[in-house]
Amino acid sequence: MPNLKELKNRISSVKSTRKITSAMKMVAASKLRRAQDLAESSRVYADSLSFILSSLAGNTKNSSDLPEILTGRENSKISLLIINSSDRGLCGGFNSNLFRNAKNWISEQQEKGKSVKIITVGKKASSFYKKTDLDVIANFDDLNSNDKQLQVSEEIKYKIMELFENNEIDEVSILFNKFISVITQEPTYQSLIPLSNEEADEEVTDTSNAVFEFEPDKNELLEYLVPRNFLTQIYRSVLESSASEHAARMTSMDNATRNAGDMIDGLTLTYNRTRQAFITKELIEIISGAEAV
Amino acid sequence: MINLKVVSPQKVIFEKEVEMAVLPGAEGDFAAMPNHSPFISSLRPGQMVIMSANKVDESFFVSGGLVMLKEKVCEVLVDQIESLSDVNSSNYQQSKTFQELEGNETALGTFEQVVNNPPYK
Repeated sequence: MPNLKELKNRISSVKSTRKITSAMKMVAASKLRRAQDLAESSRVYADSLSFILSSLAGNTKNSSDLPEILTGRENSKISLLIINSSDRGLCGGFNSNLFRNAKNWISEQQEKGKSVKIITVGKKASSFYKKTDLDVIANFDDLNSNDKQLQVSEEIKYKIMELFENNEIDEVSILFNKFISVITQEPTYQSLIPLSNEEADEEVTDTSNAVFEFEPDKNELLEYLVPRNFLTQIYRSVLESSASEHAARMTSMDNATRNAGDMIDGLTLTYNRTRQAFITKELIEIISGAEAV
Repeated sequence: MINLKVVSPQKVIFEKEVEMAVLPGAEGDFAAMPNHSPFISSLRPGQMVIMSANKVDESFFVSGGLVMLKEKVCEVLVDQIESLSDVNSSNYQQSKTFQELEGNETALGTFEQVVNNPPYK
């Protein structure tokens, strides 16, 4: 028969866990709203920039005129993957989904005969990839404020520009959890070098209506625009990933709160039953004692 | 009137109807007015001035960026923007370093040169 005191302690510990998870859920919900707002408000800049870039690139008929950093190198040998994870845990499958996905991607690249380098964002990724034998070039973490998110995106941008110029990498992709809805987040790849096809498709429709004059000339402008575009794409993925993180945490904490509730119900039932059994047992002892006399 | 929209990577800073905006283009200052031909230019660090009836309404310091000008819309994508009265030499210095990192070799000039050189006469 279970010990009454033990049961009581367990109930109270599960109760306090439930308090924590429900508080975390509410915190995540309010942070999610903020993160979504940020993602929304940064979209204007990103959209205008990609519009400018595509009208510029679309205007240049011959793709060989475009700089390598836009079109990518032929026979690319080394790919760089930027992995956007979270700094903290307790967010369900947020990080493990991402890492599983990255693993597949990496082996795919290796089958094609490319070597893979990695830049991690967030503490979870850096501690995960420390244990593997992959080539991790840089870690960025503590993305707890919006300014810091922008600053980190900036640093990553310089890093990839430098690596590309030194021929240390030929391709760059970002992996992040795309925010689809509060309950769904999907690991998504976006190619930075070469520029993803998605935008190339937009060119055709966008440029037809307006012919722009460019100042300074196209090449100089492209030189300015390309790093700028990296920054916004990276920044966007960071924001998207942070919205996803909060959403994932919110759903998983919601589940945890519900599970804790179920557990408390079960434990309380056992507790009451055990207590009743003790009382009955004692009564029987008294009665049979009295009868014996 | 032309719709002037100033946007930073983080958010839309402001959006309003103005008569004319003078912007520090990479190859010289230019004025954005309605029915300007479609035009895209990068910006050098300098002053952005909003004018109406030949008078200066507001001046800002921009640390660089891009501008896309269409018939009725002027979209300015800035890195940093401050009201001119809020700029002092230390935050000017910051944005200058920023520009140098960027590899933008536009002649920048000192703080005094930028602030005391409004793009209008």
